[in-house]
Amino acid sequence: MRRIISILLLGIVALGIILTLVKIPFGVSKTKVGKYYIDKGVEETGVTNIVTSVVVNYRGFDTLGEVTVLFIAALGLGAVLSTRKKKVKRKVEPASLILYTGCRFLFPLILLFGVYIFIHGHLTPGGGFQGGAIVASAFLLIYLGSRERRIGERGTKAIESLGGLIFVVVGLAGLVISGYFLRNFLPKGIPNLLFSGGIIPIIYIAIGFKVGSELAGIIDNLGGAVSRLS
Amino acid sequence: MVNPVLLIVVPLGLAFAIPLFGFISKRIEKYIPLTAMLFNLIVSLLLIPKALQQPIVVSIGGFPPPFCINLVAGPVGILFSAIIALVGLLVSVYALDYIKQGATGEYHILYLLLLVGATGVVLTGDIFNLFVFFEILCISSYALVAHSGDKAGIESAVKYLIQGAIGSSLILIAIALLYGLFGTLNMADIARNIDSVSSISVFVPLVLFITGLGVEAAIFPLNAWLPDAHSSAPSSISAILSGIAIEVGIYAVARVIFTIFGAQSILLFLLLLGILTLLIGEMCAFSQRNIKRLLAYSSIGQIGLILFALGIATHSGVVGGLFQIISHALSKALLFLAVGYMIYRTGSLEISTLEGMGRKMPLTSLAFTIGAFSLVGLPPFVGFPSKFLIVRAALIAQEPLFVVLIALVLLGTIIEGAYFLRIVQVLYFKGEKSNSKIEDAPIVALIPIFILMLLILIIGIYPKLLTGVLNSAAGEFLNRVGYIKSVLG
Repeated sequence: MRRIISILLLGIVALGIILTLVKIPFGVSKTKVGKYYIDKGVEETGVTNIVTSVVVNYRGFDTLGEVTVLFIAALGLGAVLSTRKKKVKRKVEPASLILYTGCRFLFPLILLFGVYIFIHGHLTPGGGFQGGAIVASAFLLIYLGSRERRIGERGTKAIESLGGLIFVVVGLAGLVISGYFLRNFLPKGIPNLLFSGGIIPIIYIAIGFKVGSELAGIIDNLGGAVSRLS
Repeated sequence: MVNPVLLIVVPLGLAFAIPLFGFISKRIEKYIPLTAMLFNLIVSLLLIPKALQQPIVVSIGGFPPPFCINLVAGPVGILFSAIIALVGLLVSVYALDYIKQGATGEYHILYLLLLVGATGVVLTGDIFNLFVFFEILCISSYALVAHSGDKAGIESAVKYLIQGAIGSSLILIAIALLYGLFGTLNMADIARNIDSVSSISVFVPLVLFITGLGVEAAIFPLNAWLPDAHSSAPSSISAILSGIAIEVGIYAVARVIFTIFGAQSILLFLLLLGILTLLIGEMCAFSQRNIKRLLAYSSIGQIGLILFALGIATHSGVVGGLFQIISHALSKALLFLAVGYMIYRTGSLEISTLEGMGRKMPLTSLAFTIGAFSLVGLPPFVGFPSKFLIVRAALIAQEPLFVVLIALVLLGTIIEGAYFLRIVQVLYFKGEKSNSKIEDAPIVALIPIFILMLLILIIGIYPKLLTGVLNSAAGEFLNRVGYIKSVLG
């Protein structure tokens, strides 16, 4: 009985959503905001990656909020796990020589690639979030390869905080200089060059560092939790 | 001129900086939320006169709306941000002494970010931005509910997390549908075009919005998470969750219905839901033995009352609803703060252990009594004028149905009076006369309690203090065209 009612309710919801979706034109450039970004994006922000111009400039305030959401998630996880911390020394079996050497070889390359992704966020696909995730994956590899190593908690915390602060301060600088929060007040430069886009690369680099250290912190926290539970 | 965006970004920046301050000295950390909220309170008060004349519209990034995100600091936004800053400030003073164990640094960051999220929700003029700040508000509350780290805390946080996450997904779907239909995320821009599409295709996003936001606003039947979450969180957090978080949820519901959709037809449904929420909340509260659960169920009842008042949707109804939001924020915060130290001293949540508290902790008990009387609606406390306005609004609406419903509201108030008076009786007139004095709450905790008591009394005796702001706030909710004009010109 319960199952039938649930299916019925789901059907009603699905029908409603379909009825709305039918009305939405797809593949037509009807969305006026989207069209504006495509037409004016490069000219107004000096950034050739339009996604970046929307994420960091037009809707930069949302991105500030999303950075905060990730910050809260990492912090909340740390807070909840820290209250259940029991210092159990588990005997760690060292990884095999092949894994160890492979990780040491790949670690700097992955790090470099991650940094490349977020530094070039305004030119090529990618950006702070993506680059940060790649950087964090390098740390995950280290955790697999050389198991007794741990990242410094103070270091990741400091980078997280600084990354967030830089974002806010750059925004406030825009408010002071030109009267609008997050206004792109630096010269926009020539599109397609590394040094272009004004404040956008600065913010994306800050986000890259922040996301990288945050995700690495989450891996550290969860890794600790797993070894505590087992 | 002070820019309203500072209300969001200054506390946000300070929250990011708390770990850095923590490197210098662990003792500075707890003063940061206090400083940030003091700043917010001052800025909000400075902005009130200007916001009353004309909503302050700020675009972020310097592009014209709807191509950027904009904040709309009208009477409603500034009124809410002032309440958030006021209650946030008082609770952060209380927390100076109350929060001693566990991850204190994390507590203060999450606490400040919760308030940032709440302020962002009430100030933003962009529907997706509202969602982002709503997430900040919700996710930090999940983490704070689990702050104690015990089994009950984590269990209720997970319940809250699951229900909240489903609610958030529904909001996100609704936003996506609206963006698909209108190609814009600006609330004023959507509101301007909402009549240009058929009503069935806007109905689905509307329902998704009400369901999704209703989880946080604790509207029946979406409020199963609330009693657990509010009762197992630290008392300072319960005060914020009850006094601020659910009110912000109600604000979002009202903003979506009144401003974006202008949906007159759904108001009656909401009004009935409000009555249902009220009666169920009060009846559940009546049967509780656990003091914090009782307060949590009473919050559900109050939310029902607020929803009922907003659902009347006349000028005086909305004024009453907003007034009730203020009155509930102050009274419920006071109740949770007072109860916090009683529980701390007795080590039990059972109402029966509070016997004789009137002699053992006289000041805290007095605070609890005033909070309870105000919530019931006894004069001369703030609950009286707010409830009176709601009753009056229902009676002058010239609708026979409302007269029946207001009788039900009064029935709810009687139940409310019964259980609160029972507790007051336990506090003062039960238990053997012993002179075993328990230490009263420390002075740092008594200061915010006293300020709340004073505010409840002052506004209760002289409600005209708020009428100007409340009238323009109600005007902002009911005058859609004015809102659209002030944003888009």
